[in-house]
Amino acid sequence: MPACEPSPVQTGDVLLSIENLHAHVEGNEILRGVSLRIRAGEIHALMGRNGSGKSTLSKVIAGHPAYTVTAGAIHYRGQDLLALSPEDRARAGVFLGFQYPVEIPGVSNLEFLRVSCNARRQHRGQEELDTFAFEDHVRDTMAIVQMNPAFLERSVNEGFSGGEKKRNEILQMALLEPLVAILDETDSGLDIDALRIVANGVKTLTLPTTATLLITHYQRLLDAITPDFVHVMAEGRILRTGDKDLAMALEQRGYDWIDGADTPQP
Amino acid sequence: MSNATQSQSWLDTLLQVLAQRSGQPAGQRAAQWAGARDWCWPTPRNEAWRFTDLRCLTQLDPARLHTRTAAPPWPHGLSQGSSRHVALQLDGHGHWRAPQGETPFWPHGLMPLPTEETTPGQVARTVISSETLPLGAQLNGVTPGPPLALQVSGADPVHLALAIQMEQAQAWLAPRVLLVLQPGARLCLSWHVAATAQAAVLPMVEARLGTGAQLEEAAIAWGCPGATFLGSSFVHQSPRSVYRRTNVTWGWGLSRDEPFIRQAQGQAETHLHGLAVARGRSLLDTHSTVFFDGPAGQLRQCHQALADGRGHSVFNGRVVVPRVAQQTDASQLSRNLLLSTRARIDTKPQLEIVADDVQCTHGATVSCLQDDELFYLQSRGIGREQASRLLQRGFCEDVLQRLPWAALAWSSLQRLLEIPVPDQP
Repeated sequence: MPACEPSPVQTGDVLLSIENLHAHVEGNEILRGVSLRIRAGEIHALMGRNGSGKSTLSKVIAGHPAYTVTAGAIHYRGQDLLALSPEDRARAGVFLGFQYPVEIPGVSNLEFLRVSCNARRQHRGQEELDTFAFEDHVRDTMAIVQMNPAFLERSVNEGFSGGEKKRNEILQMALLEPLVAILDETDSGLDIDALRIVANGVKTLTLPTTATLLITHYQRLLDAITPDFVHVMAEGRILRTGDKDLAMALEQRGYDWIDGADTPQP
Repeated sequence: MSNATQSQSWLDTLLQVLAQRSGQPAGQRAAQWAGARDWCWPTPRNEAWRFTDLRCLTQLDPARLHTRTAAPPWPHGLSQGSSRHVALQLDGHGHWRAPQGETPFWPHGLMPLPTEETTPGQVARTVISSETLPLGAQLNGVTPGPPLALQVSGADPVHLALAIQMEQAQAWLAPRVLLVLQPGARLCLSWHVAATAQAAVLPMVEARLGTGAQLEEAAIAWGCPGATFLGSSFVHQSPRSVYRRTNVTWGWGLSRDEPFIRQAQGQAETHLHGLAVARGRSLLDTHSTVFFDGPAGQLRQCHQALADGRGHSVFNGRVVVPRVAQQTDASQLSRNLLLSTRARIDTKPQLEIVADDVQCTHGATVSCLQDDELFYLQSRGIGREQASRLLQRGFCEDVLQRLPWAALAWSSLQRLLEIPVPDQP
């Protein structure tokens, strides 16, 4: 992919368009016709039972090689996202915040952050940051998630608590400045204070020219970050779409009342 | 002619050449060297040599062997002597000289031993008393040359940096180092051995650690595909002594590293950490042996290997715990990263435990790069090739971080850190 950024994003531009997406892993079809359109300035929440396909969708968007797309399409700013490697998707501005951030022993968190930040900067035609400039930059950015600078010196996510891992994910999001951020259960495993810090970090990073897809089980994250749309997934499809009231209804009534529903997509 | 016959013929010629240089008949010279009486050229039929192909060594021409060395590219600041530090490099006559060529100035706490106290093999024989010396030590023993024999005393640590640089084909170097650490003495020893030509280096280290003495050894050894490294070390530990050895090896056509450690009365600490990076057609073999001859000894050993291309890593970790060595606490781990379908890892723990009140653990892992780790890095915009390099370096880091500055400062190691290293350094 060429190291250049297309024209600037305007609020309301379609950033991500998913059409009738089917995907399987190890012969099991997980996604069975997902369609979703996300515009700049929007926050979407994706909910659903365990195993409904939420995380699979996020990994397919990010390009995880274990998943095979058998039908459908994903377009990112009009470009065929499925044709890009995972790294090119990230460089272009698609970010996945992992539900379970991977521990990588021996790889310095600081170096990892610098290399990834520079990969994105290079794509955007920005000058790469040397080690000194990056260290200043990352220390300033860490304030967004109130992260201890000592974590820069450690290996990537190694020995981090669940909350620290999630903060590290949001720190990466802040450094990469994505246009589309998909946060897979970023609220899981967080205590009340950590949830507030992470949620505030996400809100700070949400701009009129960016979009966020929050995958979550709980209303508590949506109390902190108000979504424009709430989607409910089941058996590999989006069954229902509504606004924040849908999430509150789910919190009160559970998923049973929605099973079998078949509502039009936005 | 069979390989075995060819090898024997090569050995006979080599012994004749080395004997002529020493001025003694080959048989007499070999016989003087304890353990060399029964020359037995290793073949794949020997369990300990199953995977070790010696052709890289026997491709050298005995008639053309020489001892010429080159000036090592000392890192800035390391070649300067001080009151606690001395740097030495091997010259073309087998003598250890200061980098500027002068006779070394010995820092306080380091003193050359009189020649009459430096019988070759004197420590080795106490470490492996009933066994035949390894091939590298035998060949070292029949190669003429003066030993570097030093006595270390005092609780303040002394730093000794040794460097060998081989840049001419057919170089044959067999340095011998004898270290006698007085009770409570502390020595930080660093090695840098490099070969950029078809050559062979056969270093042999003997160290006797007195009660409470500490020896910290860091060794970097890198070569080119035609070069051979046959290293052997013999460490005799008294109670409460501590021996830490960290070594990093890559690039050699053949490397066989054989450390032998004996905790003579137990109650000592041994820490062995090794990293072998085998690429191209490199064969890197480590055979270690730790004997516990008394109670409450401790061993912490981790050998890591990375094999790519047609690289081959061999590890055999022998730990001997007889009945007298009750309450021994030993752990051994072999971690391996296999990066290509043609690369090969052979790893074998060999724990010989008779004592019944001990804690001895061992483990071995062989894996490739983890898809989830690669994907995580890629999902942050890092290309697959760079992600692979980061993960490989991360794998090596556990050993590398144990190296002292005196070892880390060498530019060769910096090149290794930019994994993958070129086949031709």
